[in-house]
Amino acid sequence: MSRAGARILLGRLAPLLGLVILCVVLALTSPHFLTADNLINVLRQSSVNALLALGQLVVIITAGIDLSIGSILGVSSVVLAMLLRAGAPPLLAVLGTLVLGGLIGLLNGLLLTRLKLPHPFISTLGTMNVARGAAMILAGGVPISGLPEGFRSPFNGDLFGVPAAVIVVGFAGVIVHLLLERTVYGRDLFAIGGNREAARLAGVPVSSRLELAYTVCGLMAAVASLVLAARMNSGFPLAGTGAELDAIAAVIIGGASFFGGVGTVSGTLIGALFIGLLRNGLNLLDVSAYWQMIVIGMVIVAAVVVDVLRARQGD
Amino acid sequence: MPPLLEATGITKAFAGQVALWNVSVSFAAGEGHAVAGENGAGKSTLMSVLAGILRPDAGEVRLDGVALPPGNVVEAQRRGIGLVPQEPQGAPTLTVAENISLGETPAGLGPLRVVDRRRLNDLAADALRLAGVDVPVDALFGSLRLADQQLVLIARALHRGSRVLILDEPTSSLSTREVERLYEVVARMKASGRAVLAISHRLEELRAMTERITVLRDGKHVLSAALADVTNAEVIRAMAGRDVTSAGAPSQAPSEDVVLDVSDLGSRRVGGVSFKVRRGEIVGLAGLLGAGRSRTLHAIFGSEKRSRGTVRLHTERGAVAVRTVGDSLAAGMGLVPEDRRGQGLVLGQSVLTNVNLVLPRGGRRFGFLSRPVLLQTALDAIRELVIKAGGVAARVATLSGGNQQKVVLARFLRPDTKVLLLDEPTRGVDVGAKEEIHRHLEAMAARGLGLVLASSEIPELLRLCHRILVLREGRIVGEMSRAEATAEGIVALAAGVTA
Repeated sequence: MSRAGARILLGRLAPLLGLVILCVVLALTSPHFLTADNLINVLRQSSVNALLALGQLVVIITAGIDLSIGSILGVSSVVLAMLLRAGAPPLLAVLGTLVLGGLIGLLNGLLLTRLKLPHPFISTLGTMNVARGAAMILAGGVPISGLPEGFRSPFNGDLFGVPAAVIVVGFAGVIVHLLLERTVYGRDLFAIGGNREAARLAGVPVSSRLELAYTVCGLMAAVASLVLAARMNSGFPLAGTGAELDAIAAVIIGGASFFGGVGTVSGTLIGALFIGLLRNGLNLLDVSAYWQMIVIGMVIVAAVVVDVLRARQGD
Repeated sequence: MPPLLEATGITKAFAGQVALWNVSVSFAAGEGHAVAGENGAGKSTLMSVLAGILRPDAGEVRLDGVALPPGNVVEAQRRGIGLVPQEPQGAPTLTVAENISLGETPAGLGPLRVVDRRRLNDLAADALRLAGVDVPVDALFGSLRLADQQLVLIARALHRGSRVLILDEPTSSLSTREVERLYEVVARMKASGRAVLAISHRLEELRAMTERITVLRDGKHVLSAALADVTNAEVIRAMAGRDVTSAGAPSQAPSEDVVLDVSDLGSRRVGGVSFKVRRGEIVGLAGLLGAGRSRTLHAIFGSEKRSRGTVRLHTERGAVAVRTVGDSLAAGMGLVPEDRRGQGLVLGQSVLTNVNLVLPRGGRRFGFLSRPVLLQTALDAIRELVIKAGGVAARVATLSGGNQQKVVLARFLRPDTKVLLLDEPTRGVDVGAKEEIHRHLEAMAARGLGLVLASSEIPELLRLCHRILVLREGRIVGEMSRAEATAEGIVALAAGVTA
């Protein structure tokens, strides 16, 4: 294998290696860590971040970023709760929520490609505020609680002991993986992130591909809102505040490159799990929430340092 | 036989600067055609127009007698024009096969567009065989050596049915053996009835690949001939221009005091450059694109990392070794960078701010900026250099190119400046402003400054410099005094051929 190939393989294995080391350390330091209940609990708690991160991954592969997914999650959960409380059949309410998330994502894409805003940081920063404000207005600033069982049970129940939320993540992971690795759309996204000008000159429809990426990202935020609303039994206008940052962290810890063109679903899921396990382990070890923030911050910086070093070697 | 590809009356200007003026060339099937010229002669612009990357302001491109839609790269490709740029452009994290099919990836399952991996790899294998390239189809493009990346892009162009293949500086990143391989591929393409257009500075390589040559100078078409009918000397003369004479000797002979001493300076692209500059002397740096002119200046200034060597400035306090940008400025050495808008100016800010970007002596008192001093400095500069601006508060973005450049120069118009490094100081300025800037530079030298002038315009070097150093691949390959320097001699040395 070439040196570059070895480097890429190492880059792919690094997140998994980090996860294994973290698990071993936690298993040795806390007797409560390695129990089925605790591990299933970690999976359940990581599921919303994992869903958001899957969408973020698609965007980061194009060398972009989406800051609005936390707000999309919030407004989606509010609209979902309103639809359900108004008596809409659960299936219809779910579909409506997904369409809403996808449309906000598409708007992000259009702002970037049609209005030619200089960077998705700007367009999605705008959408982030607009969507959050809309959520607050719609909900009147308070949670909308008491969702019908017909909606909650499929998303909050268990299937053979596995939380439904985890099954949703697995399903979404497979779909995003197939999209990225097996379809022309996905491969074009990698090309755009790796070298946008080369992709354009080779005839890749760059604008419509970017619009697709942001639409998928918004859609995944809406999926995350279903899981969260079912768990909280409410639509909550402040839901997902700051969640976009955890999602970005998961993607980066998972080995994707901020420079674009690199990233995998498996790495991203490992990244989300890593953050979940770290929080869980620090809780079990009685580390305060304040210190948890410091630890997670350092892990993010360390992951990006690895990314930068890799990019410099490849230079 | 009618030409395969024909360009007629192509004119293209960028921001008022004419890059191509009424250029007409035709290219025959089965023939290799070299396009040569100095830096900035318009070669790459012409190729970009032919490939549909740029839309010409006037003129048209015809393939097989049918006009191509201007500025439509995808359509130009579809009709059979393939461009392989100087820096290989590919998606680094996709495979070779994916890059070859990029933009037209074979897929099944209707709108799901699932990639047909087997067909993808088969197509790539065919394309690589057609071009005679031996790389694995599933290797990542970014992991290939530059030479292989370039060959893959040639394979891609052929695979897309290109009947005209445009190679922009194809040999600039290749080793000797790889160049041989490229020659074979080119020969095969010509044998199969395709037209090959190659841009290069290296005449020997052009002779190996092509039969005809077209020379551009200052955006104008000056020569088209069969290569067998012209000598290297004739081509070089066409590139450099006959009408170039060294007009007017420098006003004053330099003194004997050395002010700048560069010794064995090396960096990533500069390999051991040594020279001295005396007070009042203008030393020119000549060389082709990529010869390391800019990098040498930046290495001297301290804005590019050095791997070895020393730079000394002789001041009233004796010799001072400079390492960093801060050292250089403190010792009285300034840099006027090539990219005026990107590196030289803060475009959205005023003339006042830009002139004082390097603080003048006394510009800061007790840590606070002294507005009277800054104002006086800017007013002096405007008066002395005749900067046409609506006052010191005018934003530099609103100034013409020539006046912008004067603002950059004004920064070093102070008693403590000893040495000024200038990188293409008259690029993109109009003729009148150019003449003015030349006079200012001569006046600075007459006041005892040492100037190092890097320029791709040989007439400019001949007009201003006491001595000219010729760079090739980051090394000094020749030195000429003003008396012995000729345009032909400089081009020949820079290109590494004997005239």
